[in-house]
Amino acid sequence: MHLLLLIAQKEIKVALRERLVVVLGGIILLLLGVALYAGYLAYQQQQAIITQVQTEKRQEWLNQGDKHPHIAAHYGTFVFKPKTVLSLFDFGLDAYTGTSKYLEAHHPHEFMFRPAQDHSSMIRFGELSAALVLRILVPLLIIFLAFAAFTRERESGTLKLLVAQGVSFSTLTWGKILAYVTLLAAMLLPFLLGIVMLSLANTQQETIPDVVTRAVLLALVYGAYLFLFIAFSVWVSLRSSTGRNALLILLSGWIFLGILMPKTVANLSENFYALPSMREFKATIEQDKINGLDGKTPRSVRMATLEKEYLEKYEVDSVQQLPFNFEGVSMQAGEEYGNTIYDHHLRELRQIFHQQNRLGSLASLLNPIIAVQHLSMALSGTDMRTFIHFEEQAEDYRRNLVRKMNADMAENSQYGEFYGYKAGSDLWQQMEDFSYQTPTAWQLLQYYRLEVISLLLWTALALVLIHYTHRKAKPLYA
Amino acid sequence: MPRTSQLLIYYEWKMLIRNRFQLLMLAVTFLFGMYAIYYGQSEINAQRQTIRAVQALEQEEFSSYQASFTEEMETLEQEQTHDIASRPAYAWYRHGYHAILPPHDYAALTIGQRDLFRYYYRLTGMSLHYQLFENELANPVNLMVGNFDLSFVLVYLLPLLIIAFCYGLFSSEKENGTLPLLQMQPVSLRRIILVRLLFYFGLITELAFLLSLIGLFTSGNPLKGENLVPALAWLVGVLVYCAFWFGLLFLIISFRQSSAFNAITAVGCWLLLLIVVPAVLNVIVTVKYPLSSATLAGLTRRTGLENENDEEEARAVIQEFLAHKPELTGSDSLMKNDLLPKAYAAFTSLKDINNQQQVDRYNAQVAQRNAWTSHFHWLSPAVNMQEVLAHIAETDVNTFLQFQSALAGFHGEITDFYFTRLFWDKLIVSEDYAHLPAFEMPKDSHRWNTVWWGLGKIFLAAGGTFVFGFIKMKERAK
Repeated sequence: MHLLLLIAQKEIKVALRERLVVVLGGIILLLLGVALYAGYLAYQQQQAIITQVQTEKRQEWLNQGDKHPHIAAHYGTFVFKPKTVLSLFDFGLDAYTGTSKYLEAHHPHEFMFRPAQDHSSMIRFGELSAALVLRILVPLLIIFLAFAAFTRERESGTLKLLVAQGVSFSTLTWGKILAYVTLLAAMLLPFLLGIVMLSLANTQQETIPDVVTRAVLLALVYGAYLFLFIAFSVWVSLRSSTGRNALLILLSGWIFLGILMPKTVANLSENFYALPSMREFKATIEQDKINGLDGKTPRSVRMATLEKEYLEKYEVDSVQQLPFNFEGVSMQAGEEYGNTIYDHHLRELRQIFHQQNRLGSLASLLNPIIAVQHLSMALSGTDMRTFIHFEEQAEDYRRNLVRKMNADMAENSQYGEFYGYKAGSDLWQQMEDFSYQTPTAWQLLQYYRLEVISLLLWTALALVLIHYTHRKAKPLYA
Repeated sequence: MPRTSQLLIYYEWKMLIRNRFQLLMLAVTFLFGMYAIYYGQSEINAQRQTIRAVQALEQEEFSSYQASFTEEMETLEQEQTHDIASRPAYAWYRHGYHAILPPHDYAALTIGQRDLFRYYYRLTGMSLHYQLFENELANPVNLMVGNFDLSFVLVYLLPLLIIAFCYGLFSSEKENGTLPLLQMQPVSLRRIILVRLLFYFGLITELAFLLSLIGLFTSGNPLKGENLVPALAWLVGVLVYCAFWFGLLFLIISFRQSSAFNAITAVGCWLLLLIVVPAVLNVIVTVKYPLSSATLAGLTRRTGLENENDEEEARAVIQEFLAHKPELTGSDSLMKNDLLPKAYAAFTSLKDINNQQQVDRYNAQVAQRNAWTSHFHWLSPAVNMQEVLAHIAETDVNTFLQFQSALAGFHGEITDFYFTRLFWDKLIVSEDYAHLPAFEMPKDSHRWNTVWWGLGKIFLAAGGTFVFGFIKMKERAK
């Protein structure tokens, strides 16, 4: 144990003497600071704008004056996607998912306004987030720290001396790993604490119910990831004959796993599972609304069936004799049929999204960087699943709103007199303001089992590799 | 060429063909390039297919209208279709025209923003802003990851290849112990390094040219009039961009440090120029010019008159609108026929007129952001190169902003076509279908300025690094 610490101590000293490593470490620290600060500012600014617009729209809804409930449902209202506090850590898909959705009767809209569209083309190079620094830049620092861990000793001949003095390979390896882990932990701990404090300070009126759990999980995921990178770098150094080779292998691996592979996988998924265009998507929905989902029951037939059903149920001869306004009922029936059609097509569309993203999840088994990216976005509440959950909540809210308006119309107005009846702010008040909470981290992680497995497997693999190499360490005088 | 240089190149060639790893890297890059060309073309072909599909939908729509002028009226549906075809009161908000931004032949080589922005719109006479902000369907994950197109291979991967081939040109001699032998030769060391660098420059630029030519020829004939200049600009771009990276490598080598130092510095530069600089600029611009399209959401609301039965209100709205469009007055029956459709048309047009200011202000803010980032393009030749390539293939953000502003003009043409008939109480006749409004994208004269300027900046960067390296190399030689 004493020996282990001694080796770690020596390794830290050597690392700190290396000017390039210190400079690089400094730059990365600076970038991490900038990323977190900018992320926090962006979170605050966006959140302020969204809260303000949401309040405005709520006031518009409440103060829309007296009007027929169906007209109110027609003009509708809006929901806005709140920023989660952890998005200051990982922006995830925030720039590429829409930010607002118009809720009106008859037409379920898609989310509009992708923030990336408000940027120059440069946005496609990515935005600096703390997650990006940890996922791409810190590994580079690790490579520079560790590529020469063994090769330096080998090239300068000190490895022989060490082994001759009875130091086992195992102690050497773990000592070096310990040294790098300590260095990184010392570097990153202040930021980790910063994120935790920021998240805790913003827990009220927050969309994420379990910020603390998520922050801890994020720390675990990134901790495991960075450990993995250290372990592999030291292992490669152990197995390489020269520092140059070790460096080349590590750099190629890093570029392939970090830059090339994620892009290739995403692009392949696009080739495998093609999306329809919006115009065609909408056109098929319209077509189905006219002809029915089976293509054989047009709207007139559907309406006649509904009318007959009600007349028989209430045993009356005409809709005028019904104890409520049949128009409200038929309006709602039309709405619900429209929803069924929309759900049917949306399910197909989401299926394509999921198939595309599934390929990424599968690829994460081979590539821990992809695994970490997915987990990081999920835990920050900026991933695809959270967005879809949000979309569903917004759509539920819309349907609830329309249902309420149509029910009020059926209950309180007379058949045929569309403009006779006006509802007022009492009814508008009954529709509660939209508020959103993300699923909990555990619910979300259900979707990311493959990624969790990948991270565990890779960590296990790293441990096994190091262990195995010890036992079969090549003799020095081969 | 002097004999010594010939000899040097000859031996370099022998070294190259003996080095399996280097050959493998060349082959892998070539294969990635081929995949990138294939991927880009499949994406753009999918877009072309969508364009054909929406055009077919439009043609189907309009031919059914035209046919209704000659057909016998038998069914209710036929009569409805004829009403929509001939009565401007229905036609103005039903007839949909597509404004399309067809892809440039070379968009397949650099997809740019074509996946993020819409390249086709279906416009009716209804409120422009209600129709303008809908997104195209896209998987946000794939949008974030970006496209694996040829420009990605050239901008991201080519520099890595250059680094891998050149980082050890000097240092490996030192590390292999051959340096003293070289120094004993009558040829100066600088010359040796330069000739060898030139050899690899030729080799890698040839590879890049080969890929580019394959891409250019398979995506569209470069000898065709409108493709010639873009194709030439593309090749010039590849040449200066390669030159820049070789200049940078020469500069790094001229410091005469170890291989590891060179590799680390070169990869560090790559990371700085391709990831850190753009990512930092993006996050700064987000914070410096906070902007949320959530504020525009209200424009997408579908609205109507407060009370559709109130003729007084309808007249007032029409009068208000006619103040903006005096040429539509003059019909005797202006306030008698089709009062409601006229009022509705007037209402949505007024809404557009009133909202245009808000949209303009917003677009100005986006333009401000773009202007700010473009000031910093010189910081990274890689960003510059990407921008140049996107401009060549018309997939840059400006093209889409111009497209969007051209839509306003086209929408004006559509409303003029229907409103003159609606407000003058004239029917749409069969002959009118020969002069329907058609969209035309205005030519952009600034595009080529941006391209040549951008290329100039990369050329300067290449020259600068080279001269600096040349001086540095000499300094040390003394």
